[in-house]
Amino acid sequence: MKEREGALNFMNRREFLSAVITGCMGLAAGGAAMLGSGCTVERRTADAFIGKAGGYYADIPSIIGAGLRELGVARQEIEGKRILLKPNLIESRQGAAHITTHPLMIQGAIEAFRKYGAAEIIVAEGPGHCRDTLLVLEETGLIDVLRSERITFTDLNQDSWYTVRNAGGRTKLKQLILPETLKRVDWIVSMPKLKTHHWAGITLSMKNLFGVMPGIFYGWPKNVFHWEGIEKSIFDINVTVGAHFTIVDGIVGMEGDGPIMGKPKQAGVIVMGTNLVAADATCARIMGINPQKVAYLAAAAGRLGPIKESNIFQRGEKIESVRTNFELLQNIKAHRGLRSI
Amino acid sequence: MYEKKIERAILILHERLLPDGGFVELPKAMYRVDATAWAIIALATAGGSDRNAIAAARTRLAASQMKDGRVSLSKEYPPACWPTALAVLAWQGSMVERNAHALAISFLLNTVGRMSKKTPDSPVADDPSIKGWPWIENTSSWVEPTALALLALRTAGHEGHPRAREAVRMLMNRQLPHGGWNYGNTVVYGQELYQQPGSTGIALAALAGQVDRAEVRKSLDYLRNQAERYRSPFSLCWALLALSAWGEKPDQGRAWIIESLDLQGRRGVYGTSLLCLLIASFFVDGDISKSLESCGAQK
Repeated sequence: MKEREGALNFMNRREFLSAVITGCMGLAAGGAAMLGSGCTVERRTADAFIGKAGGYYADIPSIIGAGLRELGVARQEIEGKRILLKPNLIESRQGAAHITTHPLMIQGAIEAFRKYGAAEIIVAEGPGHCRDTLLVLEETGLIDVLRSERITFTDLNQDSWYTVRNAGGRTKLKQLILPETLKRVDWIVSMPKLKTHHWAGITLSMKNLFGVMPGIFYGWPKNVFHWEGIEKSIFDINVTVGAHFTIVDGIVGMEGDGPIMGKPKQAGVIVMGTNLVAADATCARIMGINPQKVAYLAAAAGRLGPIKESNIFQRGEKIESVRTNFELLQNIKAHRGLRSI
Repeated sequence: MYEKKIERAILILHERLLPDGGFVELPKAMYRVDATAWAIIALATAGGSDRNAIAAARTRLAASQMKDGRVSLSKEYPPACWPTALAVLAWQGSMVERNAHALAISFLLNTVGRMSKKTPDSPVADDPSIKGWPWIENTSSWVEPTALALLALRTAGHEGHPRAREAVRMLMNRQLPHGGWNYGNTVVYGQELYQQPGSTGIALAALAGQVDRAEVRKSLDYLRNQAERYRSPFSLCWALLALSAWGEKPDQGRAWIIESLDLQGRRGVYGTSLLCLLIASFFVDGDISKSLESCGAQK
């Protein structure tokens, strides 16, 4: 079991080597706090994988398995480990499956990680809008998957807690309160939905970690972070929580007035990565959005991972082959100017 | 048959009791103020026969109170003050804890969510200048903490206080145009958001007797039409408590509560707060505020 004290997991083995090669040893030794001492982090590189999936009855476990291989995740990194899958279950609405991570995507991830020898898989989320987490599990159909797969679900809004130093330092919050479950897992996998967002522009792997923060300490919605600033909060939460991997449900995403009231958008992709910044930048490009114009990605770039296309090694499908412009609304301030040319 | 299953639920609740009188939210977890307050509410509405457990839990809850009257989820994090309203409900009618009760009410009356002036270009249709209560100190007011505070003030006899009247106004401002409530936003960027049964139930339970039925008719229609569908304790119970408060408790309500209890075999055990909601909803007939007033009077 790994103790997670203000973890910083943004650099995987390959990124570490990349940093060494480019002479950025301070980065490896000290993490984000030591950046900026002459080390241009945009020279760092990361991989992102794009898999095509025509629908939720595609062979999702195989696509995820291919992604793990392409991204260089060795079986030893998963074998015997406890894996936490963190979907986006912000709120549910019958007949509106495009709001939340699809249960078959979660089932596919469970199967893929089991094939890699995971000792235990936990699905956990602290829904941001709906206080009734059980209702969300029922309305999304996830409860049936959990039962059939014999998987434990933890409501992170109600979990026991522990306090850590805010390792990001962008907000005024000196400490962050995290759910105890994080201490009991070895790998945290963000499993967001590919969506536009009317406050943040887009919501993907990094914004999805808002759902890790317990509602009993941050509210419904997690309004403490809105007052602290969404971009700053995304940064702090991501540095402090330090997710290890992301699997983005982009089979059917949401365009327009996301994250709740937008329209379903068939994108037919599963995006994966060990670096959440690079994976989100790739997702943005697939959506026809310039990641450098997304405030939270621009804030993370050069600190937590690369967003320049030239610094992201694209595995699997090419962006051009799957790009499909998500509708952006001009009346939404956070959408203006996001479109890639 | 129903009674036996509720008795079993109360026995399970007792298994969550700590030696110091407090309750845990989940087996083997730590003491939680909200679980303790809910346990008191459940045991009181169930007839209050377990006076020793209620008294011990009230005393434990009082030990969690801070000097300014708030009861926060953790003394290490005072801003999470939302359980104060639950504590007011839990101390209702207690002679022993009357000072704690009065101090908590004073804290509620002096606490307000962050407000701002409504601007013509705001994408949010709600009026953020109306006073309500936040989940967490120094953040905005939201539906559930405002409704719980209103319920607590009403139960304590302060329904005429200006803060209670403004809470009514705040909740009515956050009612969705097509009926119901969600966490607390109505129309954003021109789109009406979805209602949620739990939020709708809490708001309606708090507003019982405070507004004309016609003003909340669409919301009552929504809950009445949807209640049968829910078996998750939070949504089901607040729907039943709300309909009960408005004199419309469905005849099958108790059966649905038992079904929800039975579903634990498939879903896993419920947290103490949810278990208590099921117990309280089973026994409350009418306005939960009145039930707690009469329970307190017995002490």
